[in-house]
Amino acid sequence: MSEYQQGADTAADAAPGDQDTGGERIAAEIRNYLIGLVLAAGFTVASFWVASGTSLIYVPGVPMALAALAIGQMGVHLVFFLHITTGSDNTNNALALAFGVLIVGIVIAGSLWIMYHLNMNMMIPGDMMNVRAAP
Amino acid sequence: MFGKLAWSAIPFDQPIPLITSIILIIIILGLLAWITLRGHWQYLWREWFTSVDHKRIGIMYCVLALIMLIRGFSDAIMMRAQQAIALHSQGYLPAEHFDQIFSAHGTIMIFFVAMPFVIGLMNFVVPLQLGVRDVAFPTFNSSSLWLTASAVLLVNISLFVGEFAQTGWLVYPPLSELAFSPGVGVDYYLWAIQISGIGTLLTGVNFVTTILKIRAPGMTLMRMPIFCWTALAASLLIVAAFPILTATLGMLLLDRYLGFHFFTAGFGGNPMMYINLIWAWGHPEVYILILPAFGVFSEVFSTFSGKPLFGYRSMVIATMAICILSFMVWLHHFFTMGAGADVNGFFGIMTMIIAVPTGVKIFNWLFTMWGGRIRFQVPMLWSLAFVVTFVIGGMTGVLLAVPPADFVLHNSLFLVAHFHNVVIGGVLFGAFAGYTYWFPKAFGFKLDERSGKAAFWFWVVGFYVAFMPLYVLGLKGMTRRMQHYDVADWQPWLVVAACGAALILCGIVCQVAQLVISIRHRAELRDRTGDPWDGRTLEWITSSPPPPFNFAVMPRVTGGEAYWDIKQVALENRRLTELPDYTPIEMPRNSPTGFVVAFFAVLTGFALIWHIWWIVIIGLLGAFGTFVVFAWRDHSEYLLSARELARIDAERRQARIALVEGREPAITPVKAARDPSASAARADDGGHKGPASKRIITGYGFWIFLLSDFILFSGFYAAYAVLSHSSAGGPTAKSLFDLKTMAIETACLLLSSFACGMATVASHVRNMRWTQISYFITGALGLAFLSIELSEFARMIAAGAGPGRSAFLSAFFALVGLHGLHVSIGLLWLGTMIAQIWAKGFRADIMRRALCFGLFWHALDIIWVGIFTNVYLLGTSP
Repeated sequence: MSEYQQGADTAADAAPGDQDTGGERIAAEIRNYLIGLVLAAGFTVASFWVASGTSLIYVPGVPMALAALAIGQMGVHLVFFLHITTGSDNTNNALALAFGVLIVGIVIAGSLWIMYHLNMNMMIPGDMMNVRAAP
Repeated sequence: MFGKLAWSAIPFDQPIPLITSIILIIIILGLLAWITLRGHWQYLWREWFTSVDHKRIGIMYCVLALIMLIRGFSDAIMMRAQQAIALHSQGYLPAEHFDQIFSAHGTIMIFFVAMPFVIGLMNFVVPLQLGVRDVAFPTFNSSSLWLTASAVLLVNISLFVGEFAQTGWLVYPPLSELAFSPGVGVDYYLWAIQISGIGTLLTGVNFVTTILKIRAPGMTLMRMPIFCWTALAASLLIVAAFPILTATLGMLLLDRYLGFHFFTAGFGGNPMMYINLIWAWGHPEVYILILPAFGVFSEVFSTFSGKPLFGYRSMVIATMAICILSFMVWLHHFFTMGAGADVNGFFGIMTMIIAVPTGVKIFNWLFTMWGGRIRFQVPMLWSLAFVVTFVIGGMTGVLLAVPPADFVLHNSLFLVAHFHNVVIGGVLFGAFAGYTYWFPKAFGFKLDERSGKAAFWFWVVGFYVAFMPLYVLGLKGMTRRMQHYDVADWQPWLVVAACGAALILCGIVCQVAQLVISIRHRAELRDRTGDPWDGRTLEWITSSPPPPFNFAVMPRVTGGEAYWDIKQVALENRRLTELPDYTPIEMPRNSPTGFVVAFFAVLTGFALIWHIWWIVIIGLLGAFGTFVVFAWRDHSEYLLSARELARIDAERRQARIALVEGREPAITPVKAARDPSASAARADDGGHKGPASKRIITGYGFWIFLLSDFILFSGFYAAYAVLSHSSAGGPTAKSLFDLKTMAIETACLLLSSFACGMATVASHVRNMRWTQISYFITGALGLAFLSIELSEFARMIAAGAGPGRSAFLSAFFALVGLHGLHVSIGLLWLGTMIAQIWAKGFRADIMRRALCFGLFWHALDIIWVGIFTNVYLLGTSP
């Protein structure tokens, strides 16, 4: 509808994925994507390096390090590629993301916690769950 | 040629389904013949089937719900009759038929009665209450409706062709696995729910976007009517919960169709994971249904008490608190499965906590009535009955939330009584209140009061007679879903319950009669002013039924009760507001997209159920083609001139003169002189300027959809995390994965994302050449990623490490394959988009879609980061 074009489209709101780069658009936009690419590649290389068994990291800490690197890289993608920022024009987009992340967290963490408990409590000697797979 | 479909699929040997289907087929054929003879097809097609008007869509949703209510209720009355006589005997229903009936009853009542009813009310009311002209994505809205209708059709076809599931309404494995349910019943269930799930998800996305981005000027969030808040909360829950359902049922489908081992009894499969995941959807689902009903009651209590709602802010907070808390209680559906005391204790306490915001609401409604001038009309009666009934249901719910008590009552009729108590007493009473309350707005005349009251009393009394005995039976130890029993002590209670069902039947008959009477007497029941109940929210400012554009001029909202404030000023001055400046408006054109897509969905679903693969391919191609045609169209809107608007609005203003001059008996006159400061507040728009631009609406809607996609993946992630060690003696992650190939794949995807970014930049400066080159590189790299992934899959399957080998490999193939499927869909999308930009240039609507594509393509990277870390790196690290 035509009236949607005017009026509310003020600085208070931005479409997710649109970036606000002020005046010098094209150079700034390309620079943003380049920074994103370099950072993301850096995180990826670091993850593969950690996973390939470097002696610099305490072995039980590897999963934690990998998780930290993954979350860092997701952040880079969000900021430099999807342009989801903490700016005031992005509040709605960031809030929606926060809700999504909360649900993702609840589903994964909740399932793991519940299923861990169930597996512990329901453990049957001789692994009955695999009874059909047994020859 | 026709897969598993043969003449034996038709139940010639079972009289009940056979006769029912034949009668149904005759009725449907008769209806079709009548429509043809009267020549109504063109009208139906033009005005209804292809309509993208939210009001029409809402009405069709409610019609669908009412028809399916009768279907679901006939299942109910058959079960009650069976149990009333089946002491020491087989009754009249054979076991496999009884099992289908209780499965169909639950499935139909939740998915095809409660959901469409609630979504129908949301569709009809929300844009009107927000003071706007339509929802964010009108054509998707129509697709949602027709996809739901396709699922309804599939479920009903199962009556005549084949069978329905015999597993209960949530098809728990391992019973629902191929080994134990080899028939098509479970497949009917699964495909029907998957298809309607897509429709429901689109509705959720649509309404979150509508409510957050499209509101009349001055309609700040804290000025929205409570029904809009509850619709927002329910839509958020749909977006968050339905992907989990899709993921879970998708896993079961993979088990049944492709020999995966998510939930099978062998090869490391874990049926408990299914129960965990399905309830992670199932509990929020309960609140998806009840929250909009709470919204209806809030509107009704306030209107029929002649007072603003008590505790508006606490109502908003309670609604949003329930929205979040409802995701933290799902384990209470399976306390008895064997989790430890920590887990059971936590979820028990969370369940009791969620009763607190609900209690806040109850008190708010009571205080709304306190001191008000209550009018006991039909919507108010339903609301009053709701308060009493729902409190009882809530209390038994808190009782069931105590894990030790649940160990006694789990799966007993006590539980059955509890959830019927809240679903009938809450959702259904709410739906009926809303139906009666908004009927005059939808059709221009009120429903007959006398038959409405009769229906109300039959329903309420019938409900208590039917379900209170079930509490007793539950405490006596009767479990649910019993086809026959040997305890003589139970029978009297079951006979009473059957009498209750008969009373409810009388209620339904009264409701049908009410409709007939009201249509015949519509002249006397006509709503002339558009405000039959002395309403307080914006839907009552426009005429009944409203014009397609709802409001000739968008209302300016200045306070909490938008319409009430305007009405008071008008009543005080005894005249209407000044004649506004009419400006032309654009309205969305009708589109057959939804209907055609739904046609292909039925085709695909039916063919999948019966393993007719060539029809599956035709159906999928057809659906994809329909969307391409839709995306390709050049004219999506039509223009209404200012003169036309002025003409239509003049009729409305004429009708309202009697109202503002105080000649309408239904309207409360102004008592005291108004506070002069109120007029000062009139200029205050609260900082809200009105609907957002189309680019923001589209981008935000797609962003919400992407979040639901993340949640879909989280279901598969969770399954992978739980099953990753269940290799059933087969190969493990360490021996399978090759990090070098992984690194190449990741590089492809990352560079592809970068190229997509470059395309976005190039399109911003309208450089056709670089946009196309960048998009081609994006696609080429995506294709490279996909081919490496597929060759890896082929290598693994050839080496005997396919998805059928173990639960671990099933979860791996499903998770990584789902990402691959997204990449393939992205490539198809990219192809059509490149063609469009090439053919039509940088048009605004194409650029909006390019924005969405960019979001989608970049989001796939984020998911891939999760996959390569969680699956490959963690799997192979020391």
